[in-house]
Amino acid sequence: MQEKTRSQPQVAELHAGTRYEVYEIFVQHDALQSHHHVGSVWAASPEWAIQMARENFLRRDHAVSLWAVRRADIHATAGEDRDFFAREFDRTYREVSGYADNAQRWKRFKARAMTLDEVIDDVREGNAHGSAHSGG
Amino acid sequence: MDQSRFKQFMERIERGEKIEANDWMPDDYRRLLLRLIHMHAVSEIMGAYPEKEWVPKAPSLRRKLSLMAKVQDEIGHGQLLLRVAEDLAAPLGRGRDDLMEDVIVGRVKFHNVFHMEAPSWADAGIIGWLVDGAAIMTQTALLDCSYGPYARVLKRICAEESFHMQHGESIILALAEGTEAQRQMLQEALNRWWEALLFFFGPPEVTESARKMMEYRIRYRTNEELRQKFLTRYIPRIQSVGLTIPDSRLRFDEAQQRWMYTEPDWERLGRMVRENSGPKSQERIAFRRRAHTDQAWVREALIRARAQAAV
Ligand SMILES: [Fe+2]
Ligand SMILES: [Fe+2]
Repeated sequence: MQEKTRSQPQVAELHAGTRYEVYEIFVQHDALQSHHHVGSVWAASPEWAIQMARENFLRRDHAVSLWAVRRADIHATAGEDRDFFAREFDRTYREVSGYADNAQRWKRFKARAMTLDEVIDDVREGNAHGSAHSGG
Repeated sequence: MDQSRFKQFMERIERGEKIEANDWMPDDYRRLLLRLIHMHAVSEIMGAYPEKEWVPKAPSLRRKLSLMAKVQDEIGHGQLLLRVAEDLAAPLGRGRDDLMEDVIVGRVKFHNVFHMEAPSWADAGIIGWLVDGAAIMTQTALLDCSYGPYARVLKRICAEESFHMQHGESIILALAEGTEAQRQMLQEALNRWWEALLFFFGPPEVTESARKMMEYRIRYRTNEELRQKFLTRYIPRIQSVGLTIPDSRLRFDEAQQRWMYTEPDWERLGRMVRENSGPKSQERIAFRRRAHTDQAWVREALIRARAQAAV
Protein backbone atom coordinates (compact mmCIF):
# COMPACT_ATOMS: atom_id res chain seq x y z
CA MET A 1 0.00 0.00 0.00
CA GLN A 2 2.93 2.26 0.80
CA GLU A 3 4.04 1.75 -2.80
CA LYS A 4 0.75 3.02 -4.18
CA THR A 5 0.91 6.40 -2.47
CA ARG A 6 4.39 7.22 -3.74
CA SER A 7 3.72 9.54 -6.64
CA GLN A 8 4.34 7.91 -9.99
CA PRO A 9 6.46 10.13 -12.21
CA GLN A 10 4.33 11.15 -15.18
CA VAL A 11 5.83 10.33 -18.53
CA ALA A 12 4.99 13.83 -19.69
CA GLU A 13 7.20 15.22 -16.94
CA LEU A 14 9.93 12.76 -17.72
CA HIS A 15 10.49 14.00 -21.17
CA ALA A 16 10.01 17.62 -20.38
CA GLY A 17 13.62 17.65 -21.64
CA THR A 18 12.16 15.74 -24.63
CA ARG A 19 14.52 12.85 -24.54
CA TYR A 20 12.03 10.63 -26.20
CA GLU A 21 12.49 11.48 -29.84
CA VAL A 22 11.35 10.50 -33.29
CA TYR A 23 13.85 8.36 -35.19
CA GLU A 24 13.44 7.72 -38.90
CA ILE A 25 14.17 4.10 -39.81
CA PHE A 26 16.02 2.83 -42.88
CA VAL A 27 16.30 -0.85 -43.75
CA GLN A 28 18.70 -2.60 -46.10
CA HIS A 29 17.19 -5.89 -47.18
CA ASP A 30 20.25 -7.32 -48.87
CA ALA A 31 23.78 -6.24 -49.64
CA LEU A 32 22.96 -5.18 -53.21
CA GLN A 33 20.12 -2.88 -52.18
CA SER A 34 20.44 0.56 -50.70
CA HIS A 35 18.87 1.37 -47.37
CA HIS A 36 15.35 2.61 -47.81
CA HIS A 37 13.02 4.49 -45.54
CA VAL A 38 10.29 2.39 -43.92
CA GLY A 39 8.81 4.64 -41.24
CA SER A 40 9.60 6.02 -37.82
CA VAL A 41 9.62 5.10 -34.14
CA TRP A 42 9.49 7.06 -30.90
CA ALA A 43 12.30 6.05 -28.59
CA ALA A 44 14.37 7.10 -25.61
CA SER A 45 17.74 6.52 -27.29
CA PRO A 46 19.24 5.49 -30.63
CA GLU A 47 19.84 1.97 -29.28
CA TRP A 48 16.19 1.61 -28.32
CA ALA A 49 15.11 3.11 -31.62
CA ILE A 50 16.93 0.23 -33.33
CA GLN A 51 15.30 -2.34 -31.03
CA MET A 52 11.87 -0.84 -31.61
CA ALA A 53 12.50 -0.73 -35.34
CA ARG A 54 13.33 -4.43 -35.40
CA GLU A 55 10.08 -5.20 -33.57
CA ASN A 56 8.02 -2.90 -35.78
CA PHE A 57 9.48 -3.46 -39.24
CA LEU A 58 11.33 -6.79 -39.24
CA ARG A 59 8.84 -9.26 -37.79
CA ARG A 60 8.88 -11.01 -41.18
CA ASP A 61 11.23 -9.26 -43.59
CA HIS A 62 14.88 -10.22 -43.71
CA ALA A 63 17.45 -7.49 -43.43
CA VAL A 64 21.19 -7.09 -43.26
CA SER A 65 21.35 -3.58 -41.86
CA LEU A 66 19.15 -1.07 -40.10
CA TRP A 67 19.69 2.67 -39.58
CA ALA A 68 17.97 4.89 -37.05
CA VAL A 69 18.41 8.60 -37.73
CA ARG A 70 17.17 11.34 -35.41
CA ARG A 71 14.52 13.16 -37.36
CA ALA A 72 15.99 16.45 -36.21
CA ASP A 73 19.24 15.58 -38.04
CA ILE A 74 17.65 15.15 -41.45
CA HIS A 75 17.95 17.89 -44.03
CA ALA A 76 15.20 17.77 -46.61
CA THR A 77 13.63 19.66 -49.47
CA ALA A 78 10.61 21.74 -48.56
CA GLY A 79 7.48 19.60 -48.75
CA GLU A 80 5.60 21.63 -51.30
CA ASP A 81 8.57 22.80 -53.37
CA ARG A 82 7.59 21.41 -56.77
CA ASP A 83 9.96 23.75 -58.63
CA PHE A 84 13.02 22.04 -57.25
CA PHE A 85 12.05 18.83 -58.99
CA ALA A 86 10.67 20.43 -62.14
CA ARG A 87 11.71 18.93 -65.48
CA GLU A 88 11.94 22.01 -67.64
CA PHE A 89 12.62 20.22 -70.91
CA ASP A 90 12.59 16.82 -72.55
CA ARG A 91 15.21 14.53 -71.08
CA THR A 92 14.58 11.41 -73.10
CA TYR A 93 18.06 11.85 -74.56
CA ARG A 94 19.23 10.54 -71.15
CA GLU A 95 17.03 7.48 -71.25
CA VAL A 96 16.75 4.20 -73.12
CA SER A 97 13.26 5.18 -74.28
CA GLY A 98 14.78 8.06 -76.22
CA TYR A 99 16.50 5.56 -78.56
CA ALA A 100 13.60 3.28 -79.43
CA ASP A 101 14.23 3.80 -83.15
CA ASN A 102 17.59 1.98 -82.99
CA ALA A 103 15.87 -1.39 -83.26
CA GLN A 104 14.27 -0.52 -86.62
CA ARG A 105 17.53 0.79 -87.93
CA TRP A 106 19.50 -2.31 -86.94
CA LYS A 107 16.90 -4.35 -88.77
CA ARG A 108 17.82 -2.59 -92.01
CA PHE A 109 21.37 -3.83 -91.50
CA LYS A 110 19.98 -7.33 -90.82
CA ALA A 111 21.13 -7.16 -87.19
CA ARG A 112 19.28 -7.25 -83.92
CA ALA A 113 18.93 -4.56 -81.32
CA MET A 114 20.84 -5.35 -78.15
CA THR A 115 19.96 -4.60 -74.52
CA LEU A 116 22.10 -4.29 -71.46
CA ASP A 117 20.20 -7.11 -69.74
CA GLU A 118 21.27 -9.47 -72.50
CA VAL A 119 24.89 -8.53 -71.95
CA ILE A 120 24.56 -9.09 -68.22
CA ASP A 121 22.98 -12.51 -68.73
CA ASP A 122 25.72 -13.41 -71.18
CA VAL A 123 28.57 -12.35 -68.95
CA ARG A 124 27.02 -14.03 -65.91
CA GLU A 125 26.31 -17.29 -67.66
CA GLY A 126 28.05 -20.15 -65.96
CA ASN A 127 28.91 -18.10 -62.91
CA ALA A 128 27.34 -19.94 -59.99
CA HIS A 129 27.25 -16.71 -57.95
CA GLY A 130 25.42 -14.55 -60.42
CA SER A 131 23.48 -16.42 -63.02
CA ALA A 132 20.47 -18.66 -63.26
CA HIS A 133 22.51 -21.01 -65.46
CA SER A 134 24.87 -23.18 -63.51
CA GLY A 135 26.96 -24.13 -66.51
CA GLY A 136 26.61 -27.22 -68.56
CA MET B 1 -4.41 34.74 -47.74
CA ASP B 2 -5.68 31.57 -46.05
CA GLN B 3 -8.30 31.43 -48.76
CA SER B 4 -5.66 31.15 -51.49
CA ARG B 5 -3.74 28.54 -49.49
CA PHE B 6 -6.94 26.59 -49.12
CA LYS B 7 -7.52 26.80 -52.86
CA GLN B 8 -3.97 25.59 -53.57
CA PHE B 9 -4.45 22.75 -51.09
CA MET B 10 -7.68 21.61 -52.74
CA GLU B 11 -6.02 21.78 -56.15
CA ARG B 12 -3.21 19.55 -54.93
CA ILE B 13 -5.71 17.05 -53.59
CA GLU B 14 -7.73 17.10 -56.77
CA ARG B 15 -4.57 16.46 -58.81
CA GLY B 16 -4.15 13.33 -56.69
CA GLU B 17 -1.08 14.63 -54.87
CA LYS B 18 -0.31 13.33 -51.38
CA ILE B 19 -0.21 15.73 -48.45
CA GLU B 20 2.76 15.32 -46.09
CA ALA B 21 3.05 16.02 -42.35
CA ASN B 22 4.80 19.37 -42.73
CA ASP B 23 2.69 20.69 -45.60
CA TRP B 24 0.11 23.38 -44.98
CA MET B 25 -3.33 21.86 -44.39
CA PRO B 26 -6.72 23.24 -43.31
CA ASP B 27 -7.42 22.86 -39.64
CA ASP B 28 -10.43 20.62 -40.13
CA TYR B 29 -8.42 18.34 -42.47
CA ARG B 30 -5.90 17.86 -39.65
CA ARG B 31 -8.60 17.30 -37.03
CA LEU B 32 -10.62 14.84 -39.12
CA LEU B 33 -7.51 12.83 -39.93
CA LEU B 34 -6.27 12.92 -36.36
CA ARG B 35 -9.60 11.68 -35.01
CA LEU B 36 -9.73 8.90 -37.60
CA ILE B 37 -6.13 7.74 -37.16
CA HIS B 38 -6.18 8.06 -33.38
CA MET B 39 -9.27 5.87 -33.20
CA HIS B 40 -7.73 3.45 -35.69
CA ALA B 41 -4.51 3.20 -33.63
CA VAL B 42 -6.36 2.67 -30.37
CA SER B 43 -8.66 0.08 -31.97
CA GLU B 44 -5.61 -1.90 -33.12
CA ILE B 45 -4.29 -1.97 -29.57
CA MET B 46 -7.62 -2.68 -27.86
CA GLY B 47 -8.36 -5.17 -30.66
CA ALA B 48 -5.41 -7.28 -29.61
CA TYR B 49 -7.00 -7.91 -26.20
CA PRO B 50 -9.82 -10.34 -27.05
CA GLU B 51 -7.33 -12.44 -29.01
CA LYS B 52 -4.58 -12.13 -26.44
CA GLU B 53 -7.02 -13.68 -23.97
CA TRP B 54 -6.96 -16.83 -26.13
CA VAL B 55 -3.18 -17.22 -26.38
CA PRO B 56 -2.85 -19.33 -23.21
CA LYS B 57 -5.88 -21.41 -24.18
CA ALA B 58 -5.15 -22.02 -27.87
CA PRO B 59 -5.63 -25.71 -28.75
CA SER B 60 -2.15 -26.39 -30.16
CA LEU B 61 1.35 -24.96 -30.17
CA ARG B 62 1.03 -23.90 -33.78
CA ARG B 63 -2.24 -22.07 -33.08
CA LYS B 64 -0.60 -20.44 -30.09
CA LEU B 65 2.32 -19.25 -32.20
CA SER B 66 0.18 -17.87 -34.99
CA LEU B 67 -2.18 -16.14 -32.55
CA MET B 68 0.78 -14.56 -30.76
CA ALA B 69 2.17 -13.42 -34.09
CA LYS B 70 -1.16 -11.82 -34.92
CA VAL B 71 -1.39 -10.09 -31.54
CA GLN B 72 2.11 -8.70 -32.09
CA ASP B 73 1.08 -7.46 -35.52
CA GLU B 74 -1.95 -5.64 -34.11
CA ILE B 75 0.10 -3.92 -31.43
CA GLY B 76 2.66 -3.08 -34.13
CA HIS B 77 -0.10 -1.55 -36.26
CA GLY B 78 -1.10 0.51 -33.25
CA GLN B 79 2.46 1.80 -32.86
CA LEU B 80 2.87 2.72 -36.53
CA LEU B 81 -0.47 4.53 -36.51
CA LEU B 82 0.35 6.35 -33.28
CA ARG B 83 3.46 7.77 -34.98
CA VAL B 84 1.27 9.11 -37.80
CA ALA B 85 -1.22 10.54 -35.30
CA GLU B 86 1.56 12.15 -33.23
CA ASP B 87 2.90 14.09 -36.20
CA LEU B 88 -0.60 15.42 -36.85
CA ALA B 89 -1.15 16.21 -33.17
CA ALA B 90 2.20 17.95 -32.62
CA PRO B 91 1.05 21.40 -33.86
CA LEU B 92 -1.90 21.08 -31.46
CA GLY B 93 0.54 20.55 -28.61
CA ARG B 94 -0.34 16.91 -28.03
CA GLY B 95 1.99 13.89 -27.97
CA ARG B 96 2.11 10.14 -27.37
CA ASP B 97 1.25 10.42 -23.68
CA ASP B 98 -1.87 12.44 -24.37
CA LEU B 99 -2.99 10.08 -27.10
CA MET B 100 -2.54 7.05 -24.85
CA GLU B 101 -4.04 8.75 -21.81
CA ASP B 102 -7.16 9.39 -23.87
CA VAL B 103 -7.76 5.62 -23.89
CA ILE B 104 -7.47 5.25 -20.15
CA VAL B 105 -9.84 8.10 -19.36
CA GLY B 106 -12.26 7.21 -22.18
CA ARG B 107 -11.69 10.33 -24.33
CA VAL B 108 -11.16 8.27 -27.50
CA LYS B 109 -13.47 5.61 -28.83
CA PHE B 110 -12.51 2.23 -30.15
CA HIS B 111 -14.41 -0.12 -32.45
CA ASN B 112 -17.54 -1.79 -31.10
CA VAL B 113 -16.25 -5.29 -31.82
CA PHE B 114 -13.48 -4.93 -29.23
CA HIS B 115 -15.94 -4.29 -26.40
CA MET B 116 -17.36 -7.77 -26.82
CA GLU B 117 -16.72 -11.10 -25.19
CA ALA B 118 -14.90 -13.95 -26.92
CA PRO B 119 -16.04 -16.88 -24.80
CA SER B 120 -15.04 -19.80 -27.07
CA TRP B 121 -12.17 -20.75 -29.38
CA ALA B 122 -14.61 -20.32 -32.26
CA ASP B 123 -14.91 -16.65 -31.25
CA ALA B 124 -11.16 -16.31 -31.74
CA GLY B 125 -11.68 -17.86 -35.19
CA ILE B 126 -14.59 -15.56 -36.07
CA ILE B 127 -12.57 -12.53 -34.97
CA GLY B 128 -9.65 -13.51 -37.22
CA TRP B 129 -11.94 -14.39 -40.10
CA LEU B 130 -14.77 -11.83 -40.06
CA VAL B 131 -13.67 -8.97 -37.78
CA ASP B 132 -10.34 -8.81 -39.56
CA GLY B 133 -12.23 -9.35 -42.82
CA ALA B 134 -14.39 -6.30 -42.10
CA ALA B 135 -11.36 -4.30 -40.96
CA ILE B 136 -9.55 -5.24 -44.18
CA MET B 137 -12.44 -3.79 -46.20
CA THR B 138 -12.33 -0.47 -44.35
CA GLN B 139 -8.54 -0.29 -44.41
CA THR B 140 -8.15 -1.06 -48.11
CA ALA B 141 -10.75 1.64 -48.75
CA LEU B 142 -8.31 4.10 -47.16
CA LEU B 143 -5.23 3.03 -49.17
CA ASP B 144 -5.75 5.92 -51.59
CA CYS B 145 -6.07 8.46 -48.78
CA SER B 146 -4.81 11.94 -49.66
CA TYR B 147 -2.58 11.98 -46.57
CA GLY B 148 0.72 10.34 -47.56
CA PRO B 149 1.97 9.13 -44.15
CA TYR B 150 -1.32 7.33 -43.44
CA ALA B 151 -1.47 5.79 -46.92
CA ARG B 152 2.08 4.44 -46.54
CA VAL B 153 1.43 2.89 -43.14
CA LEU B 154 -1.81 1.35 -44.42
CA LYS B 155 0.13 -0.33 -47.21
CA ARG B 156 2.33 -2.06 -44.66
CA ILE B 157 -0.65 -2.93 -42.45
CA CYS B 158 -2.63 -4.44 -45.34
CA ALA B 159 0.34 -6.62 -46.30
CA GLU B 160 0.24 -8.13 -42.80
CA GLU B 161 -3.53 -8.41 -42.83
CA SER B 162 -3.19 -10.94 -45.62
CA PHE B 163 -1.68 -13.27 -43.01
CA HIS B 164 -4.50 -12.48 -40.56
CA MET B 165 -6.99 -13.43 -43.24
CA GLN B 166 -5.42 -16.87 -43.77
CA HIS B 167 -4.97 -17.35 -40.02
CA GLY B 168 -8.69 -16.72 -39.35
CA GLU B 169 -9.81 -18.92 -42.23
CA SER B 170 -7.56 -21.72 -41.05
CA ILE B 171 -9.19 -21.73 -37.59
CA ILE B 172 -12.78 -21.68 -38.80
CA LEU B 173 -12.10 -24.25 -41.53
CA ALA B 174 -10.74 -26.66 -38.93
CA LEU B 175 -13.91 -26.19 -36.87
CA ALA B 176 -16.19 -26.45 -39.90
CA GLU B 177 -14.50 -29.73 -40.87
CA GLY B 178 -14.75 -30.97 -37.29
CA THR B 179 -17.30 -32.67 -35.09
CA GLU B 180 -20.94 -31.68 -34.66
CA ALA B 181 -20.01 -29.97 -31.39
CA GLN B 182 -17.30 -27.92 -33.12
CA ARG B 183 -19.67 -26.84 -35.88
CA GLN B 184 -22.22 -25.93 -33.23
CA MET B 185 -19.63 -23.84 -31.40
CA LEU B 186 -18.80 -22.04 -34.66
CA GLN B 187 -22.47 -21.32 -35.35
CA GLU B 188 -22.95 -19.92 -31.85
CA ALA B 189 -19.94 -17.65 -32.26
CA LEU B 190 -21.30 -16.36 -35.58
CA ASN B 191 -24.66 -15.68 -33.88
CA ARG B 192 -22.86 -13.62 -31.24
CA TRP B 193 -20.85 -11.56 -33.75
CA TRP B 194 -23.19 -10.95 -36.68
CA GLU B 195 -24.94 -7.82 -35.41
CA ALA B 196 -21.65 -6.32 -34.24
CA LEU B 197 -20.11 -6.96 -37.68
CA LEU B 198 -22.90 -5.03 -39.40
CA PHE B 199 -22.51 -2.21 -36.89
CA PHE B 200 -18.74 -2.11 -37.44
CA PHE B 201 -19.10 -0.25 -40.76
CA GLY B 202 -21.06 2.58 -39.15
CA PRO B 203 -24.49 4.07 -39.82
CA PRO B 204 -25.82 4.07 -43.39
CA GLU B 205 -26.45 7.81 -43.47
CA VAL B 206 -23.57 9.97 -44.67
CA THR B 207 -22.69 12.23 -41.76
CA GLU B 208 -21.29 15.71 -42.12
CA SER B 209 -17.78 14.58 -41.22
CA ALA B 210 -17.98 11.58 -43.58
CA ARG B 211 -18.96 13.97 -46.37
CA LYS B 212 -16.04 16.25 -45.49
CA MET B 213 -13.65 13.30 -45.52
CA MET B 214 -14.77 12.38 -49.01
CA GLU B 215 -14.34 15.96 -50.17
CA TYR B 216 -10.79 15.90 -48.81
CA ARG B 217 -10.23 12.51 -50.40
CA ILE B 218 -9.39 10.98 -47.05
CA ARG B 219 -11.89 8.29 -47.96
CA TYR B 220 -13.99 7.70 -51.02
CA ARG B 221 -16.49 5.02 -50.01
CA THR B 222 -19.53 5.38 -47.79
CA ASN B 223 -20.18 3.10 -44.82
CA GLU B 224 -23.03 1.44 -46.68
CA GLU B 225 -20.92 0.79 -49.79
CA LEU B 226 -18.34 -0.99 -47.66
CA ARG B 227 -20.94 -2.98 -45.74
CA GLN B 228 -22.48 -4.11 -49.04
CA LYS B 229 -19.08 -5.15 -50.36
CA PHE B 230 -18.42 -7.09 -47.19
CA LEU B 231 -21.78 -8.87 -47.45
CA THR B 232 -21.27 -9.73 -51.11
CA ARG B 233 -17.85 -11.16 -50.40
CA TYR B 234 -18.56 -13.03 -47.17
CA ILE B 235 -22.16 -14.25 -47.26
CA PRO B 236 -21.45 -16.98 -49.83
CA ARG B 237 -18.35 -18.09 -47.93
CA ILE B 238 -20.18 -18.19 -44.60
CA GLN B 239 -22.93 -20.28 -46.16
CA SER B 240 -20.53 -22.55 -48.00
CA VAL B 241 -19.13 -23.92 -44.72
CA GLY B 242 -22.65 -24.81 -43.61
CA LEU B 243 -23.26 -21.85 -41.29
CA THR B 244 -26.58 -20.04 -41.07
CA ILE B 245 -26.55 -16.26 -40.90
CA PRO B 246 -28.74 -15.25 -37.96
CA ASP B 247 -30.97 -12.89 -39.91
CA SER B 248 -34.19 -14.25 -41.42
CA ARG B 249 -34.71 -11.02 -43.38
CA LEU B 250 -31.35 -11.20 -45.13
CA ARG B 251 -31.73 -11.34 -48.94
CA PHE B 252 -30.24 -9.87 -52.07
CA ASP B 253 -32.60 -7.48 -53.81
CA GLU B 254 -32.06 -7.91 -57.54
CA ALA B 255 -33.87 -4.71 -58.48
CA GLN B 256 -31.81 -2.53 -56.15
CA GLN B 257 -28.69 -4.67 -56.52
CA ARG B 258 -28.11 -4.57 -52.81
CA TRP B 259 -28.37 -6.71 -49.69
CA MET B 260 -31.35 -6.15 -47.45
CA TYR B 261 -30.69 -6.96 -43.80
CA THR B 262 -32.08 -6.40 -40.34
CA GLU B 263 -30.43 -3.23 -39.07
CA PRO B 264 -28.23 -3.60 -36.03
CA ASP B 265 -29.43 -1.80 -32.91
CA TRP B 266 -27.62 1.47 -33.68
CA GLU B 267 -28.75 3.10 -30.46
CA ARG B 268 -27.70 0.31 -28.08
CA LEU B 269 -24.36 -0.47 -29.73
CA GLY B 270 -23.60 3.22 -30.26
CA ARG B 271 -24.10 3.85 -26.57
CA MET B 272 -21.84 0.93 -25.71
CA VAL B 273 -19.00 2.50 -27.73
CA ARG B 274 -19.60 6.04 -26.45
CA GLU B 275 -19.87 5.05 -22.81
CA ASN B 276 -17.49 2.09 -22.84
CA SER B 277 -20.31 0.03 -21.39
CA GLY B 278 -19.88 -3.21 -23.36
CA PRO B 279 -19.43 -6.55 -21.57
CA LYS B 280 -15.63 -6.27 -21.73
CA SER B 281 -15.03 -2.50 -22.12
CA GLN B 282 -14.09 -1.69 -18.56
CA GLU B 283 -12.03 -4.82 -17.99
CA ARG B 284 -9.91 -4.17 -21.08
CA ILE B 285 -9.50 -0.47 -20.36
CA ALA B 286 -8.41 -1.36 -16.82
CA PHE B 287 -5.90 -3.79 -18.29
CA ARG B 288 -4.55 -1.05 -20.56
CA ARG B 289 -4.35 1.36 -17.62
CA ARG B 290 -2.45 -1.20 -15.57
CA ALA B 291 -0.02 -1.86 -18.43
CA HIS B 292 0.52 1.88 -18.78
CA THR B 293 1.17 2.63 -15.11
CA ASP B 294 3.02 -0.59 -14.29
CA GLN B 295 5.50 0.05 -17.10
CA ALA B 296 6.02 3.72 -16.26
CA TRP B 297 9.23 2.83 -14.42
CA VAL B 298 10.62 1.19 -17.59
CA ARG B 299 10.02 4.32 -19.63
CA GLU B 300 11.63 6.32 -16.88
CA ALA B 301 14.62 3.96 -16.64
CA LEU B 302 15.26 4.23 -20.37
CA ILE B 303 15.52 7.98 -20.11
CA ARG B 304 17.66 7.89 -16.98
CA ALA B 305 19.99 5.36 -18.57
CA ARG B 306 20.50 7.66 -21.49
CA ALA B 307 20.99 10.73 -19.31
CA GLN B 308 23.61 8.81 -17.33
CA ALA B 309 25.39 7.58 -20.44
CA ALA B 310 25.61 11.16 -21.63
CA VAL B 311 27.42 12.31 -18.49
FE1 LIG C 1 -4.43 -4.64 -37.61
FE1 LIG D 1 -5.56 -7.74 -38.29
